[in-house]
Amino acid sequence: MAGDLAGLALWVLAAVNPPHQFYACAAASKGYVVGNKLPPSGLFVRAGEWRQLGYNHPFIAAVDYDRRDPRVLYLAAGNGCVRSPDGGRTWRITTSWDMTEPKDVSVDPSQSNHIYLALPDGIGVSRDQGRTWSRQDSGIERKYTQAIRVDRTTAGRVLAGAERGIFLTGNGGHDWRLVGADGAMVTHLEQSPHEPGWWIAATQQQGAWESRDGGLGWKRVLGGGSTLHNTAFDPTRRDRLAVCGWEVGVMVSEDGGRSWTARNSGLPSRHVWRVAFDPDRAGRIYAGVHEEALYVSDDAGRHWRSAGLEGAVIYNLAFIPAREP
Amino acid sequence: MRMKILILLLCASGAQAGTQREQAFAQRLRQVVEHNAGLEPSKAGYQTIAAKLYLGRDPEWCSRRLETLLQDPSGDMFWMFPVTAVAYLGRDKLTPSARGALRKAWKTYMPYRGDTENHWLLYYTSLYLMAQLYPNEPGESWYTGKSSEENLREAEGFLLHWMDLTTTKGQGEYDSTHYIGVYLLPLSYLAEWAGDPAMRLRARMMLDWVIADYAVENLGGLYVGAHARTDDRQVLEKWAGVSSDFGWLLFGLGYPLEGYSYYALFYSVASGYMPPEVIHRIATDRSRNYVHHELKRTRHRWRYSETRNAPVYKTTYMRRDYAVGSDQGGLLQPIQQHSWDVTWAVPDPRGVHNTLFSMHPYSAPFELQMYFTALPDFVTESVVRSKRSYDSPDKFLGGSRYEQIFQDLDTVIALYDIPPGTRYPHINGFFSKDLSKLVEHPSGWIFVQGGQASIAYYPLAPYEWRPIQGGGKRLYSPHLKNGTVVQVAAASEFADFAAFQRAILALPLQTAREPVPSVEFRSLRGHKLKFRYGQTPEVDGQPVRYQDWKLFEGPYLNAAPGSRKLVLTHGSLRRVLDFNEIPSFPPENTPEGR
Repeated sequence: MAGDLAGLALWVLAAVNPPHQFYACAAASKGYVVGNKLPPSGLFVRAGEWRQLGYNHPFIAAVDYDRRDPRVLYLAAGNGCVRSPDGGRTWRITTSWDMTEPKDVSVDPSQSNHIYLALPDGIGVSRDQGRTWSRQDSGIERKYTQAIRVDRTTAGRVLAGAERGIFLTGNGGHDWRLVGADGAMVTHLEQSPHEPGWWIAATQQQGAWESRDGGLGWKRVLGGGSTLHNTAFDPTRRDRLAVCGWEVGVMVSEDGGRSWTARNSGLPSRHVWRVAFDPDRAGRIYAGVHEEALYVSDDAGRHWRSAGLEGAVIYNLAFIPAREP
Repeated sequence: MRMKILILLLCASGAQAGTQREQAFAQRLRQVVEHNAGLEPSKAGYQTIAAKLYLGRDPEWCSRRLETLLQDPSGDMFWMFPVTAVAYLGRDKLTPSARGALRKAWKTYMPYRGDTENHWLLYYTSLYLMAQLYPNEPGESWYTGKSSEENLREAEGFLLHWMDLTTTKGQGEYDSTHYIGVYLLPLSYLAEWAGDPAMRLRARMMLDWVIADYAVENLGGLYVGAHARTDDRQVLEKWAGVSSDFGWLLFGLGYPLEGYSYYALFYSVASGYMPPEVIHRIATDRSRNYVHHELKRTRHRWRYSETRNAPVYKTTYMRRDYAVGSDQGGLLQPIQQHSWDVTWAVPDPRGVHNTLFSMHPYSAPFELQMYFTALPDFVTESVVRSKRSYDSPDKFLGGSRYEQIFQDLDTVIALYDIPPGTRYPHINGFFSKDLSKLVEHPSGWIFVQGGQASIAYYPLAPYEWRPIQGGGKRLYSPHLKNGTVVQVAAASEFADFAAFQRAILALPLQTAREPVPSVEFRSLRGHKLKFRYGQTPEVDGQPVRYQDWKLFEGPYLNAAPGSRKLVLTHGSLRRVLDFNEIPSFPPENTPEGR
């Protein structure tokens, strides 16, 4: 009984003051072309309601943070890599004219001064929290890079999803080699929170791929045909994964990727840009439906309801610790 | 002695002509500014404020109106450039409150810098000039989070890079009928307002470069030939775009747009630069026929290409009565590319569709992903929201990866090899409502006349006619292996239209569609032309040497690739734009803004 009460107290505490802040990178794309008036778009944080954080901006593709201080945010934005040192109070575009439209950003958890940027023409690396940048994409022939993720176990070990496959560097980007999904345009990479050697990749028309050996070897775990936009591991349950995509909607696997089930009941369409599990609520999953809204399910996708951000394209979702470690 | 007097008289008449030209230019410029200054005040935007400030009128109203507009900035780089002009024109005229609101907007509003060169040129020109206007301010006072000095250096870096790229590999959004304004405008700003005399000089030279590029390919003010970008209206009604505004403003050619373009106004209130006599003569002298070649480059290719900026090989043949222009075909620019046409001269081009061409209405995420950084499934719909014809089978705008083009003088051969399963597997040929004659000959030739141009059009495959909304008819040919042969001549070359037809029918022509489209044709100009899809075309048995193509090559403009040097000539007039020889200016001559 005492144990139950303690558990309930922890649950209430987490619900009132969750360990993570929930961020969305979203754009109100209806009616917008470059030069038009832009409805509220950019980075949003969920604090009861959604609140815009920082400048209005049409293309914020990703957000990551400094593991030493989660108030330090990095955005992959149309104007470049944008950094806030103070939880979104002030911002600086850290890149210069020669780096445009980054698609993803990843901070090395082991050395948080090192930032990696997925660019349409390669990979940008900063070793000084974005003060200076250089290009580090030797070994990647076709440079377009949509996804980048640092292996949390090893400093300078990074995976990149490019136009023709998944590339790996072990030395902070000095050189890269192809490790999987040869020829496929990779749209997203994710490392399991439970098992660091387990990775999942989403691709354009070539399905989902997984690696169980830290990204060295890859095999397809879900068929192709449509564009998969991202993959997600459930931090609260080891074998639960999700993918989303265009015409695909949301698909969930409860057995570590061996089988997949479409879970779209209640979603207004199967055009889904982003899916993410809530690390603070077991079974809760979010899905960003194209120009409809963000949707939430508390039963791992079996039933959905709207969760705000109506009319938006949601490019990314992120849970960032609310407090310093 | 007599010779000296003659020379003096010639100089005097030249000087008088120069003065008259200057006066006429000043008058046109004034017309543009006055029009914008006189717009209905309640509807007036930044252009009216800029025009009034330029004329020194109503500074109190300008200040009030500016503060109202700045309450809700929008438009990204298209907001930046008018506000920058207002900032400079209003330095000593706006109220402190209006200047404060203007300065504050550059902290609170973050314009998107865009995804293509015209966006970046506007963005960085504006940032450069604003950073110059407000020097020594910290990052906290700018939306970039960077100090004035950092903003200035970053902007300068892009501007110098763009100028270098353009003068070595050619312009990216080359010869655009609308975007010519977007390129001339920032250069006009820098030529007038950059504090650094080297930047001012570079900008003025780039103005000459871009204006000369237009001058040599205009016919009575109409921008002719292949364009990186045009639009659904102007691809048919060649007059209807910003380029015509500049043809009129700069050279007095043709007719301006009704109400004048935004770009002509801001060009005028900045440097209001009048091009030199040599460019004026290149723009206006059509007393001789000439072939002009240009090397350009594609927009940045992000995917599906080994080359970031592929070469574009342009050919334009210019005569008094018509012009024929082309590129080599393929996907050189997304959405708005126009690869070849014939344009004939008309006394008043307004409302006239004075052009003829064929094209494949290609539409695919392949093209859009090559040139944009978007994912595939939504990209076509997002494009169609602003470029409505993109995914239409009836369109007349856009390049195709299945089109290959070859031009020799006034002969064009366009070949199409469209794989089965391609969206819109047919060819559209544009036949204008303004053709004065049209004869379908049993030989397969279609003979038409537009203005004083006689045109023979040979389709390689069967076709049918379909009506075009707005007039004219579309040659619709639903055959995957296809092609067009066009031969043009001046009507004055023949006794009558029948004689032109007889001359064309006498020309040897062999065509085949299998295994790939091919044409062998002896042109009206006596050249034996051979072109097979996928192979280099030949003229009189010699393959065309694209590897030798120059940035500019012709009687008036000449520049080698990589040279950073353009030589303009007309008669005895010569002007050299040499970006290798930009002098160093001593620091005391670099004031913070002019």
